[in-house]
Amino acid sequence: MALIRSVFQDELDNVSQSLVDLTEMVSTAMSKATSALLNSDLKLAEEVIANDEKIDDYQHDIDSHVIDIIARQQPVASDLRALVTALRMGSDLERMGDLAHHVAKLARLRHPECAIPSELIETVTNMGRVAVELTNKTGMVISTRNTEMALEVGLDDDEMDDLHRQVIAKLIEPKWDHGIESAIDLTLLGRYYERYADHAVSVSRRVYFLVTGKYAS
Amino acid sequence: MSIENSDDNGTEELHNNDKAVEKNMQTQVTPSSLATVAGNREVRVPGSEMLGIGLETRGVHAWFGKKHVLADVSLDFAAGTVTALIGPSGCGKSTFLRTLNRMHEFIPTAALAGQVLLDGRDIYAAGTDVTKIRLNVGMVFQKPNPFPSMTIGQNVLSGLKLAQLKRSNTDDLMESCLERAGLWSEVKDRLNEHGGALSGGQQQRLCIARALAVEPQVLLMDEPCSALDPGSTFRIEQTISELAKTMTIIIVTHNMQQAARVSDYTAFFLSDGGPGVMVEAAPTSKIFSAPVDKRTEDYVTGRFG
Repeated sequence: MALIRSVFQDELDNVSQSLVDLTEMVSTAMSKATSALLNSDLKLAEEVIANDEKIDDYQHDIDSHVIDIIARQQPVASDLRALVTALRMGSDLERMGDLAHHVAKLARLRHPECAIPSELIETVTNMGRVAVELTNKTGMVISTRNTEMALEVGLDDDEMDDLHRQVIAKLIEPKWDHGIESAIDLTLLGRYYERYADHAVSVSRRVYFLVTGKYAS
Repeated sequence: MSIENSDDNGTEELHNNDKAVEKNMQTQVTPSSLATVAGNREVRVPGSEMLGIGLETRGVHAWFGKKHVLADVSLDFAAGTVTALIGPSGCGKSTFLRTLNRMHEFIPTAALAGQVLLDGRDIYAAGTDVTKIRLNVGMVFQKPNPFPSMTIGQNVLSGLKLAQLKRSNTDDLMESCLERAGLWSEVKDRLNEHGGALSGGQQQRLCIARALAVEPQVLLMDEPCSALDPGSTFRIEQTISELAKTMTIIIVTHNMQQAARVSDYTAFFLSDGGPGVMVEAAPTSKIFSAPVDKRTEDYVTGRFG
């Protein structure tokens, strides 16, 4: 009995580690996508675009593993919460990967031009930085199950929301002279980063739930 | 550029759902709101219809000789609900079950303190007719125990005979009891065969039919499926959920999935070497999704016991 249970515990730990790995993959994707965008680096953009499939496959592997554990172990209580939240965290992280992929596609589309006008370079640089910081913290939350840190991610996201508002404010200024296409690019980009960060918050909140059995308010 | 994937409103919707679920969970843990607990089965509100107000225990202690085996259990069983008692062997859950219809006192040297109230009246009060209590609070045991020399039909009606109860139409009663126990279609053409000719699972359902014939308000079940195959177990579980529409059921089980499947409430018992205590009682969904006590969590997840 004890032996079988410890195998089960190892499997739960594996799932948790896989989610941390997936978080790192997503964080790297967003970091590279931002860099590709700001430096109009086609090669880097192509790399992020190609890698998105790996992120999707990795998430599918986590799903299959979780389903297999549920089928064979009939987990309950915190074990069940850990597995059900793993399914949902996996899909949040996969979606974050998609958003990084969108950023990279925009960099590729505008190459060799830079999609970002000079007055927004700093804001977008900051959005990329906050996105990666949030993801890394989320990875820590998953591996440590620290509920205080989980709630902090939600507060850290305020910075992203501010940056998003800054982008929109620039776009609606009368002196905007980069044309409609560029305005659409920036509107979408702002949205990608903002959504990306919200998914990171969502992952952290799921960790809070799996530890406490309560939803973060 | 492609914009079809650009909108991503999923998160906000999920958060709204989370809140709805949370609200629902909070409703479920409120002891008075029974109607929300039992999943898809409608649960009677205590005191309604003919079900009475159920069974309540107040500070129940039990001893065998000098050994204190159960300490201070106060637990209510609302009418029309199914409560599972779980816990490792020796935690006092079966002893507790047996205090609920005064079976405990059959054992020499057994002693008891506290109150067990059936519809508000203490079944241990002086002058109480013990036979009447056991008619009102029936019991089904781990091992099927039909009377071997009686026919299937006689088995069902044996309780009436023993208690010298008169019923006008015993054929109808026999059929309805076997029907409610989920056995009628299998035995209706062989009511004159001996009970021992049935399979283990059928024998257990015959015992349930026998318990039903005296029309108890409460049915106690002590590991009723532990000697049965999965198919028979499934049929007994279906019977339990049917019976709970008209009576209160308390079931001791070592099968955690069974507790999770059949019960509205679950109470976890544990002994740390001393007398068994009730560690936690809550709606079953709560016990198996987010129990409060660490010991309950460790037990239901299989980390000890």
